[in-house]
Amino acid sequence: MEDLAQRFADRAVRSVFIYTHEAHPGENYRHHSSMDDKRANAKAFMEHSDVRREMYLDDLAGTAHRAYGGLPNMTWIVGRGGFIHYKSAWTNSADVEDALVNVIDFQENRTKHQWIPFYSERSAWSTRPMDKFREGLVRAGPQAVSDYEAMLERNKGKRAAPSEDVAPRVPGNFYKTEEEESKG
Amino acid sequence: MSSGDYNYSVFIGEQESFLDFAMHAPKVTMRAPSFPVESLASGETVEMKELWKTGVTIIEFGSFT
Repeated sequence: MEDLAQRFADRAVRSVFIYTHEAHPGENYRHHSSMDDKRANAKAFMEHSDVRREMYLDDLAGTAHRAYGGLPNMTWIVGRGGFIHYKSAWTNSADVEDALVNVIDFQENRTKHQWIPFYSERSAWSTRPMDKFREGLVRAGPQAVSDYEAMLERNKGKRAAPSEDVAPRVPGNFYKTEEEESKG
Repeated sequence: MSSGDYNYSVFIGEQESFLDFAMHAPKVTMRAPSFPVESLASGETVEMKELWKTGVTIIEFGSFT
């Protein structure tokens, strides 16, 4: 995302990061009990990550974060005036760039062509650099590692690679097979 | 949801939140809600709508862990 932010900065695209709550609290980086906790963890995050975008914090109750859905790593694209162009439950820079290029294309070319507005939704998936993710869990502390492993154990059935006709079902969507629907 | 619930001390990983995102969070084509946020660099509080006032804005939400 840093690379994307830099490449589009000269096209009047602003990129910001809103720091929320600790998704995987551990002994070293605990959950927030105060705004000072939140600021301290956000600063530690800046030091340990490659994020160089403007960083903002919402309030301790996560009012902004929850209003936008409350997921751990969402990305949204908002136009001038507040029009929501894109929302994604998970951040994938290639997907964000694809949407962003479309937004900019409209802005730059809308007066040159006949156009039809439309709305689309799609399911998506991406791989995850697990080494880096685990490194983060270890840095947070043993509890962060064990909580994550417990979650994997609880959900191992749901997280198995889906069949070709089902597509990605985790994290959550509305799809149920006919068999599952008949069971209620 | 209380501040304590939001800032949970143990990760559970509930899948329902992904459904909430799809069903209850603002939709594409709606106007983005604005809330006060604090700049980590300056400590200044700004309204989110100030962020996108000058043009297209990418907003990523995340945390350290």
